[in-house]
Amino acid sequence: MSQRINPELKKELLKFGAKDWNDCYHCGNCTATCQLTEREILFPRKAIRQAQMGLTESLASNADPWLCYYCGDCSDTCPRDANPGEIMMTLRRYLTSVYDWTGFSGMLYKSAKAHIVVMLVLFLSVVAAFLIFGGPMITELTSDGGVRLNTFAPAEIIAGIDHIVLLTLSFFLLTNMINMYYKVVLKDKTVHIPWYLYFTEIGEALLNFGTQLRFSKCNKSRMYWFGHWFLMIGYVTMFVLIIFFLSWFQTDNINVWYHPQRLIGYIITAGFLFGTIFFMIGRIRKKKQIFKHSHHSDWIFVVLLFLVAFSGILIHIFRINGLPFATYYTYVAHLAFEIPMVVTFVAFSKWSHLAYRPLAIYFSNMKKKTRELQLKSKLSVSY
Amino acid sequence: MEEIKIGVYVCWCGTNIAKMVDVDQVVDQIKFLPDVAVARNYKYMCSDPGQDMIIRDIKQHHLNRVVVAACSPRIHELTFRKALAKAGLNPMMFQMANIREQVAWVHTDREKATKKAVSLVHAAINRVKWHESLDKRTIEVNPATLVIGGGVAGMSAALEIANAGKQVYLVEKSKKLGGYAAQLDLTFPHFYSARQLIKPMIRHVEDHKNIRIFKPMQINQIFGYMGNFQSTLQLANGDETKLKFGNIIVATGLQPFDPSEITSYNYGKLPDVVTSLEFEKMLAKGRIETCEGKEPKNVAIIHCVGSRNANYHEYCSRTCCMTALKFANQIRSALPESNIFDLYADMRSFGKGCEELYTQTSRKNVIFLRFDQQNGLPEIRSTNGEEAVSMLIEFTEQFSKEQVEVPADLVILMVAMESHADAKDISHIAGISMCGNSFFIEKHPKLDPVATTSDGVFIVGTCQAPKDIPDSISQAKAAAARVLATIHVGTIEVDVITATVNEDICCGCQTCVSVCPYKAISFNKEKGVSEVNEILCKGCGTCGSTCPTGAIRSRHFTDQQILSQIQGLLSPDNKFEKM
Ligand SMILES: Cc1cc2nc3c(=O)[nH]c(=O)nc-3n(C[C@H](O)[C@H](O)[C@H](O)COP(=O)(O)OP(=O)(O)OC[C@H]3O[C@@H](n4cnc5c(N)ncnc54)[C@H](O)[C@@H]3O)c2cc1C
Ligand code: SF4
Ligand code: SF4
Ligand code: SF4
Ligand code: SF4
Ligand code: SF4
Repeated sequence: MSQRINPELKKELLKFGAKDWNDCYHCGNCTATCQLTEREILFPRKAIRQAQMGLTESLASNADPWLCYYCGDCSDTCPRDANPGEIMMTLRRYLTSVYDWTGFSGMLYKSAKAHIVVMLVLFLSVVAAFLIFGGPMITELTSDGGVRLNTFAPAEIIAGIDHIVLLTLSFFLLTNMINMYYKVVLKDKTVHIPWYLYFTEIGEALLNFGTQLRFSKCNKSRMYWFGHWFLMIGYVTMFVLIIFFLSWFQTDNINVWYHPQRLIGYIITAGFLFGTIFFMIGRIRKKKQIFKHSHHSDWIFVVLLFLVAFSGILIHIFRINGLPFATYYTYVAHLAFEIPMVVTFVAFSKWSHLAYRPLAIYFSNMKKKTRELQLKSKLSVSY
Repeated sequence: MEEIKIGVYVCWCGTNIAKMVDVDQVVDQIKFLPDVAVARNYKYMCSDPGQDMIIRDIKQHHLNRVVVAACSPRIHELTFRKALAKAGLNPMMFQMANIREQVAWVHTDREKATKKAVSLVHAAINRVKWHESLDKRTIEVNPATLVIGGGVAGMSAALEIANAGKQVYLVEKSKKLGGYAAQLDLTFPHFYSARQLIKPMIRHVEDHKNIRIFKPMQINQIFGYMGNFQSTLQLANGDETKLKFGNIIVATGLQPFDPSEITSYNYGKLPDVVTSLEFEKMLAKGRIETCEGKEPKNVAIIHCVGSRNANYHEYCSRTCCMTALKFANQIRSALPESNIFDLYADMRSFGKGCEELYTQTSRKNVIFLRFDQQNGLPEIRSTNGEEAVSMLIEFTEQFSKEQVEVPADLVILMVAMESHADAKDISHIAGISMCGNSFFIEKHPKLDPVATTSDGVFIVGTCQAPKDIPDSISQAKAAAARVLATIHVGTIEVDVITATVNEDICCGCQTCVSVCPYKAISFNKEKGVSEVNEILCKGCGTCGSTCPTGAIRSRHFTDQQILSQIQGLLSPDNKFEKM
């Protein structure tokens, strides 16, 4: 079956960030340079071609953009300055919106205005919720001189709200992931993956999720890999804490500094601050390829994350030093930053790559193995 | 007859010859042969001391024949002939024996090789005895020039010659000067208007006092030879005019390929499939439209139509890639919202400003798609009114290997450039050869791309090979320079090695007339014998060996010369004595 070329796709893709990418004339230099591409999984040129030609279906079933970690080698060496790395970044944004069946993702990505309005509404809703449902702001301190934060915002209730938000977002993310599976694996009629590969190939995907080893293969910047990894570890730890251990974490006690509750908090904050400051400086200096082109979603994300981390550490300082009002207000601000960030980014924008990347590795490896098997059986037939 | 005194010189060619041929032995063997006055060997005969040695000997020993046994005559025959002339001897009194390529380089047995060398030198000595003095002849060049074809190439050549003050006769088949360039809208890569480039040129040609234009006019026959051609033109009023000219410049140009023979493109069946030339005319009219007069939303351009395909023409037409990019730019300016698809096989954007045009075009939202003719041509089919778009083009895109279909309301076929349909006639009339693709063949593809094997006949522009306007003009001006050079010198030297007919013996059978590849022999009806035009004769010897009565004698290749050469070769005296 022929696929109809869709010239409109290009106009659509332009809104997801990249400049015009017709410059690429398919010399293949980028694919040759890329450390991550391999036989049977060739990128970024192939995906650029699909984008140029407006092959909507081929693009939707192409998981390659998720395998790129944007080291920028290809962009550095492209003879036509076609910015292949940035095109892959754009395609990741586009694919996020393709997997998202609600259409919310596309809206956030395509319009900075829409994203900011959504964030503002959520921010104000959180503030309003505290005004209406918040506990009493008592100034009386605990026996060891800390603020009684759990009276104003009881950990169980906050945890409950967290659970509701999480469940909702999980639902969306999970359905998007299933959609991705449908588009990448089921709709690709060229491969029929044997069932056992589903088990044998899961290991590498999980390993990558934990270590981002593939990322470190883009060996140009250890620092970048570390910043990214540290941020990711901080983020996942924070998630686990606020979902499962919030009552333990959000305590009114002032523990000794080496108490795990404090240590873990510090590590998360350090990860966040280090990662976000590193990225912000990078995006301002624009020296590395990956930082040269910033989409509005990149800025909103990194600034919010910084604010979340910064307000988090302030709460901690104010609380153990017995400053009740400062503690309460920063706590409200902390949640008013955190909720919009989580809601817009986890399932519909940048953070969803946490799920899509390992899935892409998983699917791609299965497809690759299947192709190799197909090739082998073809060869053995012809002999 | 004066006494024959031959000087024989055997060259070592460094070690090239000396390694395999015992040069001392050769000299020892032949120095006792009759008429040999001097025999020597030397390290490098072609060097100045080597040549001086010959000159000195000629003067001292009053030599009147010289034999050099060395390399191929192709390399140094002329060198030694010149040395003879310097010493006051007729240069034809010379013979060369090739003991390098024909002996030293091809044999491994020194003894046998030396014996063969002796035989070859003996043969040369025998031959040179029969050599005759032949003198160079010159003829005068008629200063007028005939130009056939009034396209950019023909006009450029005509103007160049006319501006130098020489007469030009310009013969154009159609009613108008300008050729195809005059039918174009804009030109790549600078987007100059073709009309603004060509119109002043036409005016110049028409107003020039040294150019006489004949149009519409066709030339049917040309007689004569370089320097002295003539032809008779039939004028429209029934009169005849006789033209005399010394050189001919052929500029009959191109014709576009007819794409209706490519079935998958449906040209002629689908009204919105047009050729590049038809599209030029549409652009010149100022409106891009479909057959229904609507602005097309989707325009597709297909490259290599009839080019680079063994079924049509294997060659690349050279200008169509750039013309396609030119179209894409023009469509983008005229229809900013349209979708432009460029289906190409390879993008050939060589030349000044051309790759830049490609880069510039790729930034104008043109979708480039690559097909491979070997894997099947794109198929254009109608949607039969079932969709908003009128046609779909289906093919496998080579950079993605995806089977795709391109929507199109207007399709432009970049048709191949063929040589003009008249090329075959002109090739007979002007005596030029055609290659398998019907383009005229140049004298040498690298070293002389302007001249032809017929002296005084030059080819310029697209009749020689597909090319663009600047290349056509460059070639035209180069030919003009060549023509002006011969006019400036005023005379031409003609080769001395020609055939002659002994009228007493010739029986008038005219066998020679039919075999001469250069049309150098004509039959004199009054005398009833054949005559050789010594200017046209290339001395190939075909006539001499065909003539049943032996009336034709090839100068410098007489029977006597050849027979005695063979005798020398087979002489029982040729032996090798071990030292
Ligand atoms: C669609 C198209 C677009 C093009 N666009 C460009 C462009 O943008 N830029 C560019 O540089 N080039 C372009 N070209 C190429 C350009 O047209 C040619 O390089 C140029 O026309 C060659 O000139 P010419 O004089 O060799 O041949 P022609 O233009 O073919 O002229 C030959 C002349 O000889 C005459 N003739 C033929 N046979 C006889 C005969 N037997 N006796 C007397 N006269 C005869 C013909 O009538 C004609 O007038 C394009 C070509 C095509 C087909
Ligand atoms: S993006 Fe650049 S390097 Fe890659 S194929 Fe295109 S032109 Fe070549
Ligand atoms: S940015 Fe790096 S990882 Fe991504 S495609 Fe280019 S070279 Fe490969
Ligand atoms: S110039 Fe381009 S379109 Fe024309 S024949 Fe050559 S490759 Fe094909
Ligand atoms: S510059 Fe490149 S594309 Fe052009 S002819 Fe040379 S090798 Fe070919
Ligand atoms: S020698 Fe050759 S060219 Fe000369 S007249 Fe005879 S056949 Fe013709």
